[in-house]
Formats: sequence, C-alpha cells, structure tokens
Amino acid sequence: MPEANENDFSAKLRRLVETIDIANILTEPLTQSITNLLKISAADINSDEASVLIREGDQGDLRFLAVIGEVAEHLINMTVPAGKGIAGFVLSSGQPIAVSDVGEDETFYAEVDKTTGYLTQMILATPLRHNGEIIGVLEYINRRGDAPFEPFTPAEMDKAAMFADAIASLVNAYESAKLFRELSDKVLTEDENLNVAEVRIWLGGLRDSAEHREMMDLAVLIREIASRGDAERQMCREVLGAVLKYSDSSSETSFLSF
Amino acid sequence: MTTVSGFEQTSISPQAIYFQLDDSWRSASGKGVSVAIVDSGIDTDHPNLAGKILESVEARVENKRIVFDPSDNGDSAGHGTACAGIIAKIAPEAELHSIKVLGAGGLGDGQAFLAGLEYAIKKRYRVINLSLGTTKPQFFSPLHDLLDRAYQAGSIVVAAANNLPYPSFPSVFSSSLISVIKSEETDPLNFGFHYGEVIELTAPGVNVRTAWPGGGHRNLTGNSFACPHIVGIIALLLEKYPDLTPFQIKSALYSIAKENQGDDTETRP
Repeated sequence: MPEANENDFSAKLRRLVETIDIANILTEPLTQSITNLLKISAADINSDEASVLIREGDQGDLRFLAVIGEVAEHLINMTVPAGKGIAGFVLSSGQPIAVSDVGEDETFYAEVDKTTGYLTQMILATPLRHNGEIIGVLEYINRRGDAPFEPFTPAEMDKAAMFADAIASLVNAYESAKLFRELSDKVLTEDENLNVAEVRIWLGGLRDSAEHREMMDLAVLIREIASRGDAERQMCREVLGAVLKYSDSSSETSFLSF
Repeated sequence: MTTVSGFEQTSISPQAIYFQLDDSWRSASGKGVSVAIVDSGIDTDHPNLAGKILESVEARVENKRIVFDPSDNGDSAGHGTACAGIIAKIAPEAELHSIKVLGAGGLGDGQAFLAGLEYAIKKRYRVINLSLGTTKPQFFSPLHDLLDRAYQAGSIVVAAANNLPYPSFPSVFSSSLISVIKSEETDPLNFGFHYGEVIELTAPGVNVRTAWPGGGHRNLTGNSFACPHIVGIIALLLEKYPDLTPFQIKSALYSIAKENQGDDTETRP
C-alpha cells in the first residue's frame, strides 16, 4: 500500500475507533438512565418488578434491555419470540393492556416462573413509541407487598403511558448509539484487506496512547456535565462552542499552550 | 322506545323521524349478523366460542404482497380470543370471522392491519372490530380510503382508541367509523356518548372477564376490550334492523347512549 494511502487509511481507522469508544461510553449511562427511570416509574405505579423490552431484528422479537426486581438477573438480555404473550401483542398492536390474573398458561412468564419460582399474577404493558414507530414495550409485573393484589387502574395505565414516552426517548438514543457501534464494528471486521492480528496490535497501541485516553476522559467529563441538568448542559455547549470558534479563527496549530 | 332524532315525537313533524327503535334489540342475539375481528387470531376450540367462528384466515406475505390463507394456528397472544369472547357474550348468535394480522412472521404491523381491514370490507362483513391502531403517518391516507370504502359498502368499523398522547389511526377518524374508549361501567349494555369528543363512545373496558386461549378466562383492562362491547351491541341492532346504514347505526347508538346516561335532552358542546 502506498505510504500516502496508508496514512489516510490509518487516520480514518483512528477516527472510527475513537467514535466507537465514545459511543460505548455514551451507551452505558443510557441503559443506567433507563433503569433509573424504570425504578421511579415502578414506585409511582406501586410495583417492584418492571422491564423495558426492545424490538430485536425484523421479525418482532423482543429483548429485555432493562429489568428491575427479584428476577432481573434471569430476564436481562432474554428474548421473547415474536407475537408471544402480552408483550408480543402490545408490540404488534400498539394497544396498552392490563391483565389482572395472568395465570399459569401465560406463555412467556410461565416459563420464566418455572425456573425462578416467582409467581407472575398481573401485568400492565404499554408500547414504547418514537416518531410513530413502536420500538419496544414497557411492562410492570405484580404490585408491592403480598398477594392478592389490587388490579392496575386506568389512571395507572395513563401514568405508564407517560413514563413510556420518556423511556422511549432514551431507548431511541441507546439504539442509535448501538447501531452506530455495530456498523463500525462490521466495517472493521468485514474488510478482507485487513490483517486482523495487525489491526489488534494497532488498536492496542492506539487505545494505550495518552492522546486517546485524554479524549476518552474528555468524553466522560462531558457526559458527567450533561447529566447534571439543563443549565450545565447549556453552559457546556456554549463554552465548547466558544472554544471551537476561537480555535477556528486562530493559527493552524493549537492555540492553547500550557 | 328510542327516537333517533332525540326529540319528543309530538314536538316535531313525523317526517323528521327517520326511524324508531323499540327495545327488542336488547333481547336479540345477533343472529345472522357477520362480524369480523381483525386481530391476533381466535382460539376456535374455546368453550365460549366453539361453533361460533365461521371463518379463520391468516395474513401471509407472498411476492411482497399480503394474502390470506385459511388458518388453524389459533391465537398465540390471547387478544383476539378475548375480543371474540366479549362479542359472543353480548351477541351469542353472531357469525364471527377471525382475520389474523398479528403474530409471528415479520409482517409489517401497519401493512398487515390494513390488508386485514381491506379483506373484511371486500367480504362485506357488517361489523368490523378493530381493537388495534397505528400512529404511523404513512397509514393515515390509505386508512382514510379504506374507511370510506367500508362506509359505502355498509360495513360498520368500530375501533379502539389509544390511551397515548398521540393521535392513533383510525380511531381519530370520526366521520366514517365509531371509536371507543374504556369506562369502569360493568353492565355490558350500558355505554355512553361524548358529543364533541374525538372518541365518541365509552364502554366497559376495566377488569372485563372474558375468554382466553386454552379454555380459560382472564380479567382484562384496556380500550381494546371496550371496542368489542360496541361491536356486540351493533350486532344486536342489526339483527332487528338489518337495513341500518353506518350513519343510522351511529345515530341509534347516540340515542341509546343518551338514554343510558339518563339524558333525554339534546345538548351541544
């Protein structure tokens, strides 16, 4: 490979890896935020068990993205086949539903209950929508305390729909970051001209470099500031915008020196 | 006696009264009235439904088109069976037709839903239960066209409203279909009317006990279960008054709802 082309390729690959790493840094707190919102909403709806299921693939399968409650560890990342049970119906129909006596034959949770010993008795399920598309399902299982439970009320269904709106925005951001990361991974692994061993060594060197670590530290810092609130986000945006503007108007080299 | 105009008979000319309903529909059974349930399929072996399902078809993609084949796959989600159970309870002799558009198979949710509605209109089923909806803007126009076709064919489409803070199609189309939202009422025949609201009718939809696949029953809450109540009532009306048009059915429902609500006066928002 001619030297100029090699350098060009190396620069592109470096930018790609940096983007993937930043996407990874951004995705992780999104799932944490989804889980936090799930906890807040579950407390408001007086339920301890709640899940966010997201559409996986073209067939309408659902995957547990975030789960709280006794059986969270068993459910996380588990897949519900397309069209199965209450969640499958809510995904395909867009209609929120509450079932107050799920019973033993409820296809999906019956299987989970057998392995965990947990007893699913009630489900409230509502769709997660973004820009008119149904991207997943929000579910609440049982109430706090011991059975028998009072059925979920129409007012709680309305509350769940409002929480679903907020959670759907986070899920969409998570999906976008994930999609970008997967596409980048694909580019890296499917290029036949790439020598995988060499790429790994190169990647190791890049990720160990002080410059890359500093860039990741900066991404973490921005993420931290962004999580503090609207005022902090606004100030951060203005300060960084001013720095960029000043940099554009100065010399070709960095304008800051320490 | 329900006078559809809503006025006392003596206060207006006889020509102003288009038709009158006696209360015989309350003891009807929906005999001979065809009802389509566009949903997740129906468990045809359920004791509440055995012998009542005249047809079960299922959507399938063939050369990028959706076609319908006879189906014996039942109902993997439970929703269609639950809706059928409510209709059969109110109108036990109605002829039910299951049009399965939800389930496994990668069908685009809106596409299959539209194809199922079109199938029911082409077959000229008298009442069509749509306890489904879509918020995808691209389906707005095709749904409008289909509902106009239904209206012209004399098919009465009843759709469940959505609880969500977005417009859901077709439940927001008020001219050519009947849309329903749940109430906490427990008497299945006691429905209400919200004049001036996008969602026009209220019907029982909270903790409704109905059929569930496998032979059992479930207590369910949602607008999905309010919709089949109105479908069942329309089947009763059509048994007694088979020539009613969609417009007349709407007027009749309005008058009955006013009576149910104990309000005989004509009001405007």
